[in-house]
Amino acid sequence: MRIGGARRLRRDAAVAAVLVALYALGAALVHNSYYQLILTLVPVWAVLGLGWNLFSGMSGLVSFGHAAFFGIGAYVVTLALVYWHLTPWLGIPLGMAAGAGAALLIGLPTFRLRGHYFALSMLAYPLAILYVLEYLGFQEVPLPMHREHPALYLQFAAPLTMTLVALGLFVLAMIAGLLVENSRFGLALLAVRQNELAAEAAGLDTWRWKMRGLVASGAIAAAAGGLYACVLLVVTPDAVFNVVVSAQALVLTLFGGVGTVWGPVIGAAVLIPLAETLNAKLGSIIPGIQGVVYGIAIIGIMLAAPEGLFWTFRDRFFRPAPPPPAPAPRPAPAAMPPRGQVLLDVRDISKTFGGLRAVQEVSFQLQAGEILGIIGPNGAGKTTLFNLLCGVIAADTGSARLGEVELRGQKVHRVARLGVGRTFQVVRSFPRLSLLENVIVAGYGAGLSDTNAAGAAEAALEAVGLADRAARPAGGLTNKDLRLMELARALAGAPRLLLLDETLAGLGREECDELLAVLRRLRDGGMSIVIIEHTMHAMLRLADRFLVLDHGRVLAEGPPRAVMENPAVIEAYLGSKFLARQNA
Amino acid sequence: MNTKIGRRGALAMTGAAALAGTARAAAAPKEVEIALLVPLSGPWAEQGILERAGAEMAVDDVNKAGGIKSLGGAKLKLLIFDTGATVETAKDAAQRMIAQHPHLVGGMGCWLSTFTLAATEVTERAKLPWLTLSYADAITDRGFHYVFQTSATAKTQAEQTVPFVMKLAQGATHKRPTKVAIVGDNTAASVSFLKPIKAHILKQEKLTAVVDEIYTPPLADATTLVQPIRAANPDFVLVLSTNDGDDKMLADTFSEYGIPASKMPLIGNGGHWAVPELLKTTGAGILQDIMVGMANWPSKALAPLVARYIKRSGNPWMGQNEIFAYAHVQILAWALNKAKVANRLNVADAIRTMNITDGPAIYFPGHHLQFTSIGRRVGAALVIIQWQSGKPVTIFPASAAQAKAIWPV
Repeated sequence: MRIGGARRLRRDAAVAAVLVALYALGAALVHNSYYQLILTLVPVWAVLGLGWNLFSGMSGLVSFGHAAFFGIGAYVVTLALVYWHLTPWLGIPLGMAAGAGAALLIGLPTFRLRGHYFALSMLAYPLAILYVLEYLGFQEVPLPMHREHPALYLQFAAPLTMTLVALGLFVLAMIAGLLVENSRFGLALLAVRQNELAAEAAGLDTWRWKMRGLVASGAIAAAAGGLYACVLLVVTPDAVFNVVVSAQALVLTLFGGVGTVWGPVIGAAVLIPLAETLNAKLGSIIPGIQGVVYGIAIIGIMLAAPEGLFWTFRDRFFRPAPPPPAPAPRPAPAAMPPRGQVLLDVRDISKTFGGLRAVQEVSFQLQAGEILGIIGPNGAGKTTLFNLLCGVIAADTGSARLGEVELRGQKVHRVARLGVGRTFQVVRSFPRLSLLENVIVAGYGAGLSDTNAAGAAEAALEAVGLADRAARPAGGLTNKDLRLMELARALAGAPRLLLLDETLAGLGREECDELLAVLRRLRDGGMSIVIIEHTMHAMLRLADRFLVLDHGRVLAEGPPRAVMENPAVIEAYLGSKFLARQNA
Repeated sequence: MNTKIGRRGALAMTGAAALAGTARAAAAPKEVEIALLVPLSGPWAEQGILERAGAEMAVDDVNKAGGIKSLGGAKLKLLIFDTGATVETAKDAAQRMIAQHPHLVGGMGCWLSTFTLAATEVTERAKLPWLTLSYADAITDRGFHYVFQTSATAKTQAEQTVPFVMKLAQGATHKRPTKVAIVGDNTAASVSFLKPIKAHILKQEKLTAVVDEIYTPPLADATTLVQPIRAANPDFVLVLSTNDGDDKMLADTFSEYGIPASKMPLIGNGGHWAVPELLKTTGAGILQDIMVGMANWPSKALAPLVARYIKRSGNPWMGQNEIFAYAHVQILAWALNKAKVANRLNVADAIRTMNITDGPAIYFPGHHLQFTSIGRRVGAALVIIQWQSGKPVTIFPASAAQAKAIWPV
């Protein structure tokens, strides 16, 4: 369970239970079969939205293709009923399995893509399946009417029963959503959302978490599709695979609020009845006008509440100060290797991008308890060197050993788990999460249990001096505090080696001093640090040794003062003219 | 007597009044509600609008002639619903119609087979007798009891269309066609039509399909469909579209590619190929010689009715959609009269057992009205019209033909 998750889960589950009970009670009072149909459709679409939110809302990887899963669910239920006389009670679980399988097959190639490219390629799947089904001759498949055992085939005489079944499915989807949202599963997906590379560097196997998310999401969307087929009674590829279905999931969730189970619930509860009412009232006056009014209504509400109704209302009316987290047991500090022992041994590591030799035969050693500063002009290959060490990019030749373990060829999250913590030039936090939750991800990455991860995160915040702000949302932090949080995130995984990429960038002198103090304290505790930095005055005060890179090669190495007086270094930084003038 | 009536008492009284109301309504209603559920928006709207015109005229005719005699001259009231452009909106509209109008005794629609398939899932469960001109065989293949298909099904039409075309071509050219090009959309009626053609008709007629293209309506561009046809140079083209927008785009593109129907015979299917709107948007030249198979067309005997319709609607002729809707209202009026009670179950019974050659039977070719146990009209057959000088005229069956068929050579 995530920190404070159990409490939030109990509260949200209680609210959901009350709402579901009220909804069921309300539905029981409705005798008009058309209104009852609307009441059935609200939970069905809410389930689709919950499925979408579980993956896309949490991970930030926008899917325009959830119609694929929805449609697969619908067609599995329908075709199983037509050809095998299989009751939808079993057809829906079967459809969910098919949806999960499809998610696996879709995820395998598509997770290679990011951002807009991911979103766009997801769009292609339902459209492709749509044409396959048309080609196979499944243009219109009516669900055969079963007069004998209507309840067995989900063809109830009383429409209220269908609403209750839909509500039941909604409850299951809601439970799944709440469990994910309040566990490390959800936090891992949120970590992907803020910065996938950072999450990976914190030790999270993001590919696996994304895949789990998509599979769970696909199964839920398929369940919604399966039940929708039973409501619609005639399934056409266009009705279930159309891009409008994917858009529906997106619109409901964005409208209600992304990243919370309440988003799709609010979206479905408002928009589905609105669309139907418009169809009924305006459609009979001017056929087609309902779509225009619906569109304008959505635009209007999104302008007023751009983050979705849930977040807007929460921010305006309920902004409870998060309670201070209960102190968690601290894990025993990681045993640091004895001072002076060689911790990192890099030999002849190289990387070429086409014709550009970004890193050429770089070798250096780092002793335990030492701070090594890597300096060099822009484009010297400093960050590329970090990326080679972390496994973000693969080295062409050479080796990098951490203690006895070869780092080359390892995945990013594996390197993290071996005890390498890393920070990035650009800090990306999840602004709505507390500082502690931002840091805790790294604890999960290190494979710690929930309580141990919380303990490690608190200890890390303490180490960087942010313990008093642990419960505050990261959104309100200053640049310096964000840098410290990033550092804490690297520390929470109990690393032996820290790789810091321009941690001091953009800080004022005093802020810089504070950070330097923290870093020195860490070194005194036995931590080994490699830091890339441009702020020379700070580096001179911090680093034990300098390594100068230029054009991907090691230019000089040694104690800071000696390196700074090296003519080759001065030339690299300031140019040969400057050097000539100085010598003249 | 205590004149104070509690809330519960008032409620009971209202209830009693309502009950009495229904009882009286059942005995001798002033109005009897029937429904028309057709596309009034979206790509199929033109067809729905024409059906509405036919139905409204029939309702006026029935009411002017004294209403339903056996119900004390009760007037018909036509309630109109829009299916919209998708199967979901069609089904929702059906649900709304059933839920909000419990006194409906019958209805008709939804023109497009896909919509009819969905809407009748609702009307069947509500036991509402439903008349449809939709072609798809699936509509009456589901074992439903309250759906009556007055048109020849797509399969029947397919089985009659191709032999007619072969015979006509042979008569004109003294040579049997061997190559056919097929273009169709993927809606239920077109799929039903093409199934028997691909299964056995082509083989039976020794025809080869040199082009076989399927598209999703509405069409955005027809060049990719027409290009291969021009290249394959078939003896004739079979076009299974379902709306006049697609018809226009296809006919225009054939013409642009130098193979208008007057050069390469084009056989379409469905009432949308003969609506006034198509003439307006496409023009007589491009439409010339296009042949269209469909399920009904007003015969010569109905000339006075057609003349009244033209005067009333301002449309240049009365076609399949209008005559079907007119006939459906007349069937419901006839069944109400027979049932002597405004109750949907009795109306359904009357339709199920009807076997007449007069009354509403005169609006169908063959002048016979009877339904099989699965709800298909006995003897329902194909009618073929051809565009000749800017007007659709019947060329088949011979008994109803208004003009001689032209095979473009």
